[in-house]
Amino acid sequence: MPGKTRKTPLKDADRDYLALGLEGSANKLGAGIMKHSKDGAAIVLSNIRHTYITPPGEGFQPRDTALHHREWALKVINDCLTKAGVSMHEIDCICFTKGPGMGAPLQSVALIARTLSLLFSKPLVGVNHCVGHIEMGREITGAQNPVVLYVSGGNTQVIAYSRQCYRIFGETLDIAVGNCLDRFARIINLSNDPSPGYNIEQEAKKGNRLLSLPYATKGMDISLSGILSAAEAYTLDKRFRAQGATGDEDMITPQDLCFSLQETVFAMLVEITERAMAHIGSKEVLIVGGVGSNERLQQMMGVMAQERQARVFATDERFCIDNGIMIAQAGLLSYRMGYETPLAKTTCTQRFRTDEVHVAWRA
Amino acid sequence: MTENWHSVTLNIPFASEKHALIAKQVIEVDSELQFHVVKRTIEVDGHVLIAAFSTLTVRLARLAANAFLENVDLVVRTLERFGEEAENPPSS
Repeated sequence: MPGKTRKTPLKDADRDYLALGLEGSANKLGAGIMKHSKDGAAIVLSNIRHTYITPPGEGFQPRDTALHHREWALKVINDCLTKAGVSMHEIDCICFTKGPGMGAPLQSVALIARTLSLLFSKPLVGVNHCVGHIEMGREITGAQNPVVLYVSGGNTQVIAYSRQCYRIFGETLDIAVGNCLDRFARIINLSNDPSPGYNIEQEAKKGNRLLSLPYATKGMDISLSGILSAAEAYTLDKRFRAQGATGDEDMITPQDLCFSLQETVFAMLVEITERAMAHIGSKEVLIVGGVGSNERLQQMMGVMAQERQARVFATDERFCIDNGIMIAQAGLLSYRMGYETPLAKTTCTQRFRTDEVHVAWRA
Repeated sequence: MTENWHSVTLNIPFASEKHALIAKQVIEVDSELQFHVVKRTIEVDGHVLIAAFSTLTVRLARLAANAFLENVDLVVRTLERFGEEAENPPSS
């Protein structure tokens, strides 16, 4: 492992701490309560989420997503408190997603966070969404110092920790891998329930043919918009059979395209992850973000990891897909290091780089 | 230059002065998206929240007032759901 083991600046908890985490940067509205107990354990007391699912062929727009969050947030927060058996008075801090994400949805959640903060006189902690994913992944899997592949509908980054900063080693030059998959799901009119990515994964298992798609790694980064266009072009090909296999000899089915798209983009992700691992000599890979729940991606990463005598860590959909508990976890770590966001600074921002955060709680 | 601008004033009574102040503090954090052509002031007078908008166009007046009212609605519903609990801290 590179580097000496430094002592963590995060002192042991002098008492039990409770944090409420609120997440709403995309179409998932999540609330979670995290407890850091005196004996050093981090316990998930509750993690409730409601997803805004659009009809097949449609994506989610900022305005409608914000309306969904405003409609569901209070119920989700209430259920979250009830399930944890905790009242707002016992909470130490209210953590919310400051960014990155979609403006109106983020702001809707921030308004509620601020109101609760003033009502119950609790401090607010603005959290970076990406850091939330990373911290929850670390906590759940116990990975020590992994190269992190953060892949979701809004973000695609390869991250490694160094000197109190999550540094971005590689990323997408245009769209996120989840966005690429979701948009392709819309093109072939797949259902968005429970998520377009899940349905692409299931369809891909029925694919038989690996079609040629551009393989676009650019050094340590990747480009995905060209691949999406190429996949879409196949749906306009005269060999394309939208309804599935028809028994023709030379045919292209949606299942073949799902399979080919996954194989291509996942191979690219594995490659840029491997580059980062080679760069820093890491033996651990942690996959976080919604696309991380894809089992084929985990499998392909596992093949690469095994060749390098490394291990792959991944969480299940409770923690992979956007949720409130990850915001509570990252927020509580910040709070315990003395960080709070003053009310006037609790605005949200659509662009918030992962490496802008000072990771005070790690050595 | 602002003599020919449009203005809208909204007076929203709350259950208490405390709630009106909370609404003011929560909503005023976010500045207007088009702050050059939308001027906003938010004040509290007793238990009434007073928001005054001065905008370049009628359309902006509609958008600003509408967004403000949606935000007020969200704050009111949050106060409604959690207000009573906030008044009753558990006696330890």
